[in-house]
Amino acid sequence: MDLFWQQLINGLSLGALYALIAVGYTVVYGIVQLINFAHGEIFMTGAFGAFATWVVMGSPSSMSWQVAVFGMLPVMILGGIIVSVTMALLMERLAYRPLRDAPRLAPLISAIGISVFLQEFVRLFFGDIPGMPDSKRAIPFPNIEGISGRSVSFGNVNVQISALFTLGALVVCTAFLWFYVNRTKTGRAMVATSQDPDTARLMGINVDRVIMAAFAVGAALAAIAGVAQGMRVGNIDFRMGFLAGLKAFTAAVLGGIGNINGAVVGGLVLGVVESMATTFIPGQFGSPAWKDVWAFVLLILVLVFRPQGLLGAKVVDRA
Amino acid sequence: MSRFTSALTIPAEKLEKFQTAAHIGGIVAAALGIVSVLLPWSYAHEALDDVTYSAAPSPLQYNYIGLAVIAVVLFAAPLVLRKPGKARDWVAWNTGARFAGYGLLATGFVGVAAIGIESGGLINVDPGGWLALVAGVVGAVSGLVLFRSPEPSMGRIKTNTIVQIIAIAGGLAAVLFAAAFALGLSGAGAFLFYLTFAAFLALTLVRTGVFGWFAKCAADNKKILVLAAFFVAFVFPFTQNGSDANMSIATQVLIFSATALGLNIVVGLVGLLDLGYIAFLGAGAFTSAVLSGSLYSHIHWHPPFIVTVLISGCVSSFLGLIIGTPTLRVSGDYLAIVTLAFGEIFRITMNNLDGSDGPNITNGSNGINNVPELSFLGFNFGDAHQIFGIQVGRFANYFWLMLLVLAVIMVVFVNLNRSRIGRGWVAIREDELAAEAMGVNTFGLKILAFAGGAFLAGLAGAVKAHYDVSVTPDQYVFLESAFLLAAVVLGGMGTVMGVLIGATILKLLPEKLRFFSDYRLMLFGLLLVFMMRFRPEGIIADERRQLEFHAEDEELAEDVQEELIAYHDHFNPDAVTTEDLR
Amino acid sequence: MNRRIVKLAAVTFVAGALALSGCGSRADNGSTSSSGATKIAKIGVIAPLSGDLSALGLGIKNSVDLAIKQANDSNAIPGWKLEISAMDDQATPDVGKNAATSLSSDDQVVGVVGTLNSSVAQSVTPVLQPVHIVQISPANTNPTLTQGQDAANPARPYDNYFRTCTTDAVQGPTAAAYLLSIGIKNVATIHDKKSYGQGLVEAFTKAFVAGGGKIAIAQTINPDDKDFSAVVTNVKAANPAAVYYGGEYPQAGPLSKQMKAAGLNVPLMGGDGIFDPSYIDLAGSASNGDLATSVGAPVDTLASAKAFVSAYTAAGYKDPMGAYGAQSYDAANAIINALKTSLAKATDAKSARADTVTAMSSVSFDGATGKIAFDKYGDTVTKVITVYKVTAGKWATEKTLS
Repeated sequence: MDLFWQQLINGLSLGALYALIAVGYTVVYGIVQLINFAHGEIFMTGAFGAFATWVVMGSPSSMSWQVAVFGMLPVMILGGIIVSVTMALLMERLAYRPLRDAPRLAPLISAIGISVFLQEFVRLFFGDIPGMPDSKRAIPFPNIEGISGRSVSFGNVNVQISALFTLGALVVCTAFLWFYVNRTKTGRAMVATSQDPDTARLMGINVDRVIMAAFAVGAALAAIAGVAQGMRVGNIDFRMGFLAGLKAFTAAVLGGIGNINGAVVGGLVLGVVESMATTFIPGQFGSPAWKDVWAFVLLILVLVFRPQGLLGAKVVDRA
Repeated sequence: MSRFTSALTIPAEKLEKFQTAAHIGGIVAAALGIVSVLLPWSYAHEALDDVTYSAAPSPLQYNYIGLAVIAVVLFAAPLVLRKPGKARDWVAWNTGARFAGYGLLATGFVGVAAIGIESGGLINVDPGGWLALVAGVVGAVSGLVLFRSPEPSMGRIKTNTIVQIIAIAGGLAAVLFAAAFALGLSGAGAFLFYLTFAAFLALTLVRTGVFGWFAKCAADNKKILVLAAFFVAFVFPFTQNGSDANMSIATQVLIFSATALGLNIVVGLVGLLDLGYIAFLGAGAFTSAVLSGSLYSHIHWHPPFIVTVLISGCVSSFLGLIIGTPTLRVSGDYLAIVTLAFGEIFRITMNNLDGSDGPNITNGSNGINNVPELSFLGFNFGDAHQIFGIQVGRFANYFWLMLLVLAVIMVVFVNLNRSRIGRGWVAIREDELAAEAMGVNTFGLKILAFAGGAFLAGLAGAVKAHYDVSVTPDQYVFLESAFLLAAVVLGGMGTVMGVLIGATILKLLPEKLRFFSDYRLMLFGLLLVFMMRFRPEGIIADERRQLEFHAEDEELAEDVQEELIAYHDHFNPDAVTTEDLR
Repeated sequence: MNRRIVKLAAVTFVAGALALSGCGSRADNGSTSSSGATKIAKIGVIAPLSGDLSALGLGIKNSVDLAIKQANDSNAIPGWKLEISAMDDQATPDVGKNAATSLSSDDQVVGVVGTLNSSVAQSVTPVLQPVHIVQISPANTNPTLTQGQDAANPARPYDNYFRTCTTDAVQGPTAAAYLLSIGIKNVATIHDKKSYGQGLVEAFTKAFVAGGGKIAIAQTINPDDKDFSAVVTNVKAANPAAVYYGGEYPQAGPLSKQMKAAGLNVPLMGGDGIFDPSYIDLAGSASNGDLATSVGAPVDTLASAKAFVSAYTAAGYKDPMGAYGAQSYDAANAIINALKTSLAKATDAKSARADTVTAMSSVSFDGATGKIAFDKYGDTVTKVITVYKVTAGKWATEKTLS
C-alpha cells in the first residue's frame, strides 16, 4: 500500500510538471489552432535561462536555505521567464504571424524547424557565452539549499521537497491563471478571441496583442516548469524539451484541448498513469523502460474513445 | 506609361536610353569573366580545385567560361535580332541575361570567398579572382537595368521528334556528367562553387524559356524520357571506376528518395501530416534483418529475399493500419502528434525487445548486426564484380537493386495518382467535407493511403537492412522523419520529380559540405522555417498546390484554370461541355 | 512501331555514349604524398568526440595524439611520419560505421584506436576487418567481441581486433567479490540496456549469486531518460544494501543524485563507464561513498604510468585524460610497436596493413597500465582491476586486485 501512495505522489509531481507545460500548448492552440511544436524548446530555454541567471549572479553555492529559497530561487525563475518569454515572442512574430492564414501544414512544419533550430542553437552556442559550461552534454543544475536533495517522510512514503515545490508552483500558477482569465482585460480578451476571433476584432480587441499575451503566458509557465525539472532530476540538457513537450501535448489533448483546466487535469492524470504503470503492470511490460510508451498509448486511447478530452475541448469551430 | 519595366524600381522612361549600354555592358562583363579565367585566381593551391595557373583553366573554371559564353549570347541577341518574330519574342532574352548576370556575380563571389576561406585570407586572391568579381558586378548591374522580357513561350516552337530526342539525350547526359563531376569534387569550396554555378545556370535557362522547350520535348516523348533517365541512372556506377565512397552516398540517396516517395503519397497527395513515417521504414528494416539469417537474429527462418521483401512490406502496412484506424477519424493536427508518438513507441519498443523488458526479438539497443549480404542466383551483392571490364563495388550492386525498387515505387505512385483513387485523394486534400458530400469514401481512401505508403516504406526498409549490415533502433529517430518530411516539402508536395530533387539535396549536401557538419541540423531547422515562409509549395511546384499557398495570386489562378481545362480536354475529348450546350 | 523501337535504342545508345565519354571520373583522390624521404602513416581514432561521452572520447584522442607525438619526436620508425586521424562516432553505431568506412578508404590509415562503446565496435570492426586494418580498443569490455557469442566455446570472430582493457567477464566478478568482501549481500541491479551495461550486470549477477549474494531487484532504464523516479521507487521498495549500475556516467550521476534525494542512501557501484570526474559533477555531493571499478592499475602506482601522466599534463591538452587515457596511450604504442616491424619493409601504408595485424600478436612491452601483450583471442594478458571510491568529492583508490 505504501508503494501505491509513493507512486501516487511521484505521479502527481511529475504530472504537475506536465501540466505547467501543457497549459502553454492549450492556450496557444485555443486561439490560433497551432500546435506549437517548439513549446518543448521554450521549456528548455527557460531552464537554461534560469541556469544562466545563477551563473551571472556569481554561481553562489553556499547560503542558508532561507536566502536560497526566497532570494536566489525567485531571481533564477525570473531570469528563466525573461528568456523563455523573449524566445516565444520572437518565434511568434518572426515565424508564426506571417503564416497565420496559410494552410495548417505550413506553421506546423515551421514549428518543427524552429524546434530543431533551438535545440541545436543551445547545443552549439550556449557554451560560447562567457562563463557558461559546455552545453553539448548535461549541465548539473545548481543546488538550491532547502529544496534540492531534501525530502520529507510520512511513514514509509518519501516526498521530495522539489516535488512539493512543483505541486505548489502548479497551484499558484493555476490560481494566477484563473484570476488572469476571468478578471483582467487581456485575459478575457483571450477567451473572447478563442471563441470567435472575428467578432473579437469587431469588438475592438487587438488580436495580435492577445496572441502575443497567450504565447507569453505559456512561456512563463514553461520556464517555471523548467526550473522545477532542473531541481527534480539535477541537470539540464539541450534535449530535455522534446519528450517533455510531446507528453505535455498528450496531457493537453487528454484534458481537452483549449481548456486550461483540462490541461491541468490532463497533466496530473498522465503523470499518475505513467508512474503507476511502471509498478503495477506485472511482467516484463511493467518495467520502467516502457513508461513512455504508456503515455502515448493513453493518447491514442483517448483519441479513439473520447476525442474531446476529459473536460471537453474549447476550440473555435472553423467549419 | 511604358509597357516595359526593369527589375529596378526606377521608372522606365529614365532607363530607355541605357538599354543599349546595358547590353554592351553585359557583353563586356562576360568577356572580362573569360579573360579573368586566363589569369590565376588564387595564390594558394588548396583553394577550389587549384586555380593558380595562367591560361590553363581548371575544370571549374571551364564551367565558369560556359556561363560567361551563355551570358554573351543572351546579352547580345536582342542587339542582333531587331525584327519582331519568333526568335526575338518567344525567348526571354533580357530576363535570361539578367539571371546570367546574377550568376556571374554569385559564382564570382562564391569563388573569391572560397579562395579566401580555404587558403586562409583574401590576400591569396589573385587579380584573376578579383576580375571575375568585377565582371560579375558589371554583369548584374547591366542585367538589372535591362527591361524585362515578356514571358517566354519557347514551348510553342515546333521541333522534329528526332531533335527532341537528341535534346533529351543531351540533357540527361549533361545531368549525369554534372552529377559525376559534383560527386567527384573533394573540397567544400569547389562543391559550393559548382553548386552555385549549376543553380544559376538552371535558373537562367528556366527564365529564358529553354526549360519550357525541354518540358515540351519531354512531354511529347514521356516514355522515352523515363526510360532514358533510368538508363542513365543505371549507367552511373560505371562512371565511378570502382570508387565506393560516391556509390555509398548515391545508394543512400536512393533509399531516402524511395522512402520520401512513399511519404509523398501520404503527405503530398492526401495531405495527411505523418510525423512518424520513419517507423514504417524501420519496421521493414527490422523484419528483413530478423528474417535474414543473421547470427544475431533470434528467429531462425530464412526465406528467400523476395518473400522477405513482401513480408516486410506487409508488416509495415499492418502497422500503418493499426495507427491509421483510430486516428484518421480525427482532425489533421491530432494525426501529426499521434504519428509522432507512434514513431517514438516504435523506437522504444525496438529498444526494449531485448529479453529483459520484452521477448528478445531485436536485441534491444544493439540491434541486429552482421546481416548477411544478399545473394541472388550466385550473384553475391557483397562482392565487387567486373562487368564489361569495369570494376564495380559492393555499393553499386545495392544501387541497382534500389533503382529497381525505386522504379517499382514510381510506377505505383504514378498509376495511383492518375486513377480514381488518386483523384479521390486530391479531393480529400482540398476539402474533406466536400469530398465526403460528393460520395468519396474518405475514411477508406485515407486508410489506403496510409497503409499503401507504409507498404512502400517497408519495401525500401528491406533493402536498407542489407545495405546497412546492421539495424539499430537509434537509426530510426524522429529527426529522420523530419528529414523525410522536409524532402517532400522542399522538393514539392505531390510531384515525383520534386521529391526526388528534395531528397537528393537533403542527403547529398551534408555529405559534401563537411565543414558545416556541426551546424547541419541548425541550418536544417532554419531551412524549414524559411521554406514555409517564402516558398511553401517547394522547388518543383505543383501549380494547384501553389495556388493553395498563394491564394491571392490572380495570374496563378488563371494559369491553373487554363491548365485544368487543357488537362480535362486532353483526357476527355468527347465530353460535353457547357460550350457545346449553348 | 518498329521506328519507335529503333528510335528508343538510338536514344539510349546515344545517351549512354555521351555519358560514358563525357565524364572524366576523378581517379586521384588527393594522395598528396609530399615529395621527400618521409612517408606518412596514419593512426585513426574512432571515439565520441562530441556529445555526452565526449569527456571520455577526447581523453582517448589526446592520449593517442601524445603517443604519436612522442614516436615522431624520437623517430621511432625511421623514414615514416605518423599522423593522427580522429573521427567522431557520437557513441552511435551508425556514425561509427561511417567513420570506419571513411578511414578504411583512406590509404594512409594503417591502424585504429577505438571504440569506446562496445555497441559501436560491433558496427565498426566488420568494416575494418575486410581491409585488414588493426583495431585496438582501450575501453570495449564486452567479451563477445574477442571470444564470440558462445561463452562456453570461445572462438575469435575478428582477427584484427584487440583490446588493452579487461572484459566484463573479469570486471563484473571483481565487483561482486569486492561487495561481498565488505559485507554487502543484498544488491539491486540497474542497467541501460546497451551491450556494455547489460553485459557487465550479467557478469556481476552470475558471480554475486554464486558467491552467496542475493539480487533484490533487477531494473532497466532507457539511456535517454532524465527522470528516474519510477526506477528509484521500485528499487527503494526492495530495500537493497547497494545498487550496482551497468552503464555510463551521464545516467549514473543523476541516478545517484535522485536515489539519495528519494531517501535511498546506499552506495552506487558501477564499472569503468562511471569512473570519470564528470560523474561527481553530475551527482554532486550525493556521490560520496559511491564506488567504481576500472581496468588497469591506478595511474599513480606504476612508474610508466607516472611518466605518462606527467607527459600528458606537460602537453597541455584542454581535456583531462579521462578513464581510458592510459589504455589509449598503450593501444597507440602497441600499434606503433607493431608498425616498427611492418613498416620497415613496406613502401606505402596500405600494403603494411595485413602485416601490422600479424605483428600485433607478438607485441610485448611495458605500458602505462602494466605489461601490454595479447593472447590468442586479442585480449590483454594483464588483468588488473582497481576499485575506486568517491571520497571528499574525488575518486580515490580503494583496492587493487589482479
